[in-house]
Amino acid sequence: MKKKQEPVVIMMNGKPFEVPPGGSLGVLALGNVGVRAWKKAKEKFEKKDVPGDGKEKK
Amino acid sequence: MEKKKNKVLLIGWDAADWKIIDKLMANGLMPAMKSLVESGVRGKLATLDPPLSPMLWTSMATGVRPYRHGVIGFVEHDGKGGVRSVSSHYRKVKAFWNMLTMEGYKSNVIAWWPSNPVESINGCMVSNLFQQEKKGRETMERENWEIPEGTIYPESLKEQLMELRVHPHDITGNLVMPFVPQAVALDKKKDKRLTVISKFIAHATTVHAACTELMETQEWDLTAVYHDAIDHFSHGFMKFHPPMMPNRDKEEYELFKDVVIGAYVFHDMMLDRLLKMIDDDTTVIIVSDHGFHSDHLRPPHIPKVPSGPAIEHAPYGIFVAKGPGIKKGERIHGASVLDVTPTLLTLFDLPVGRDMDGKPLVNIFDHPKTVQYIDSWEKVDKPGGELVSVSEESLEATNEAALQQLVDLGYIDEMKLDDSNEDQQEYLKGIIKENQFYLAKSYISGGKHEEALEILLEIEDKSNPDFRFLIDIINSAIKTKRYPLAKEYLNYVRKNELMSDAYMDTLEAKIALGLNDGETALKMLKSAIKSKPDAIEILIELGRLFNSLRELTKARECFLKVIEKDPDNAHAYHGAGVSYLREENYEEALDYFLNAVDKMHHYPMAHFHIGETLALMKEYSAAIGSFEVALTMNPDLPKTYRWLIDLNEIIENQKAVDYYKNKLKSKIIDEKVIITGLPGEKLMSVIDLLRENGFDVKGDPLNEAQWANPLNNDILEGVKEHICYLPENMIQNLLARYDCRFVVVNDEAEKVSEFINSKARLKKSSYNADLIDGLVKMDTTARIWLGQQPNLDIFYINELEDDKNEMLISFVKN
Repeated sequence: MKKKQEPVVIMMNGKPFEVPPGGSLGVLALGNVGVRAWKKAKEKFEKKDVPGDGKEKK
Repeated sequence: MEKKKNKVLLIGWDAADWKIIDKLMANGLMPAMKSLVESGVRGKLATLDPPLSPMLWTSMATGVRPYRHGVIGFVEHDGKGGVRSVSSHYRKVKAFWNMLTMEGYKSNVIAWWPSNPVESINGCMVSNLFQQEKKGRETMERENWEIPEGTIYPESLKEQLMELRVHPHDITGNLVMPFVPQAVALDKKKDKRLTVISKFIAHATTVHAACTELMETQEWDLTAVYHDAIDHFSHGFMKFHPPMMPNRDKEEYELFKDVVIGAYVFHDMMLDRLLKMIDDDTTVIIVSDHGFHSDHLRPPHIPKVPSGPAIEHAPYGIFVAKGPGIKKGERIHGASVLDVTPTLLTLFDLPVGRDMDGKPLVNIFDHPKTVQYIDSWEKVDKPGGELVSVSEESLEATNEAALQQLVDLGYIDEMKLDDSNEDQQEYLKGIIKENQFYLAKSYISGGKHEEALEILLEIEDKSNPDFRFLIDIINSAIKTKRYPLAKEYLNYVRKNELMSDAYMDTLEAKIALGLNDGETALKMLKSAIKSKPDAIEILIELGRLFNSLRELTKARECFLKVIEKDPDNAHAYHGAGVSYLREENYEEALDYFLNAVDKMHHYPMAHFHIGETLALMKEYSAAIGSFEVALTMNPDLPKTYRWLIDLNEIIENQKAVDYYKNKLKSKIIDEKVIITGLPGEKLMSVIDLLRENGFDVKGDPLNEAQWANPLNNDILEGVKEHICYLPENMIQNLLARYDCRFVVVNDEAEKVSEFINSKARLKKSSYNADLIDGLVKMDTTARIWLGQQPNLDIFYINELEDDKNEMLISFVKN
């Protein structure tokens, strides 16, 4: 069973945008905000990908 | 946080070029840049020679040329017998962040090249090694990616900025796809080019993240950020940029043709974010240090010499400025990388150093801007920030990584770890010698040929000849009129076959011109053009020589051929303009001169010729404007003052007449007017006209003895008079003795021959064909000499007409 994670959403051009774990140039172009959001999305994705047995990859 | 007013955001994009940006803006792919250009000013930013980025960005940050700021080349001596990547240690003068610190302004400076180690300025500084993932020669994994000492000031920002770094290994296929849409078809492990692209994206993202973080969390008056990615992407992939270059692999072209476009588009996206972070009170400036050839001027091969990749750099970078008090939607001309710091200082109402080589770009402002000056920022005794101290161990590790990056980019050769000590010493010597060469180039670029020659003669080693050093020795020797030295090195290069014969023929022609040997010059240039019919430099020289010889159609053919090959070549437009001007085709001449200054604004002779053409078209006020521009660029040209005196007299501006007369007086002592030309009817009419107008013209064109003996002291004695006729074979001897300006009467040999024969019949003496031939040869030599003296004030007469007569009298009078 995999652990469910909420997607990371940021505002891009005034609209909410779900940050893909693989990143997008649009997100990177946001600079500090984009990099933080992307790192968070990746982290969540990596956690989600690991079975929820309490030994998730940190 | 208190909201600061009148802030400045300075963005540096290494190697950004208008040719690509204009196409992308037209296609809607750079909307942020387009909005900026439409609501601000744009222009070309002239680079310096050599076009090497650390030298240029330091010139940009200081307003002085490299031989003054001290950052030379890509590497520097480490003071312990080794070399290190260029650093802040060698900068000898203050940068704009020091000047702003002294005056209490706060700056964010991010990734400026070179800025490691950082300085304790008023604000924050992140060095150009911040994004570096290498430690020594090893790549650090993201889990243990350290931040080297000396890369962040203040240290307290370290944790905050560290978390914003993006490691090249984090770059996914998603992110590479916009650059290489068919990336999946490539094996990332085998094809290193995808790894390189990932690295460039990671570095650009890291720098941008640090910049946005500091803009958002710190108080600032100036934020200055530098990106090297466009330069790096261009060096790696411009060869695949459309249109496909001849002899390229079609498959590779298809794979990588979007990389450069991707790089520009990504920068525009980052720009969009920055623009959304600022308010209307903030001035935004975007600059690049040089351009990058993206069309038929792309070199087919990169020379295998240090800094060889710089051959791909184009001579103009970009300049854009938008903000309060700045013009909208206009173009500016004449900007140089040296002007960035003076312009920044002016934006902050701070004084510009009189010792700076650059000038504030006052033409960007919509209202006249008062510029303040001080003698030098070096004399201001206020704290401006010190280099932070860094441990030896950390310095070595970061240095090795930085050196490796320069090796990867092809700017320096690699030193192998297993090389013997002797090999390593040779390597180090080579690098130091290379830097001396760049220093010499910098002197040449600043017009200091004596200083350049001294260095070049010292580093030149005939046992290990380097053609680049030898060519610059010959050119500098020609510039300093050391013709025997130029000839000596030219013979050496020829003997050892170090350069193509065509190139050496061109240099030999320049030496011959210096020695007034027009015949040899023409022979050499014709030989050169035969083997290289499309060589731009040879065509320009040949065209100039034909202009001097008044073979105007041939001259024009050369220049038009250059324009066809290189439509941005200002010298070709200027040369073609001169050929039309000499034909009195003023409309065409003006068109070509205007094109010349459009391509290269800082071209005093082109502005001068625009003035001359407009004056001859009776557009007096416009002509005055052009002469004034020429004067600001070259204040040592007496003939410009004379034109300004004449024209202001015509428009009855006595105040200006007096001003320029005073200026001219301080430049000229005891000046003579020499009338010369073939001794025909036209020349006699000119002399008669002057005598009729009360001028006491000495000399007699029909005195045969004058033509035969060029060293006749009696004739030169005649020059004691203010106005004197001298035969053309005498004029070259004059300049050592007197300041002169010339009235040159153009006539045809046949008509002159008829005139002399008619006079001979009257006098019953004999003029033979040999004498006529001799006169024609003398005329040719004199014209070549006059053509090589751009500073001389010459009034050419083709026909005597009423309006020309007035100008002639005015020319002689002043």
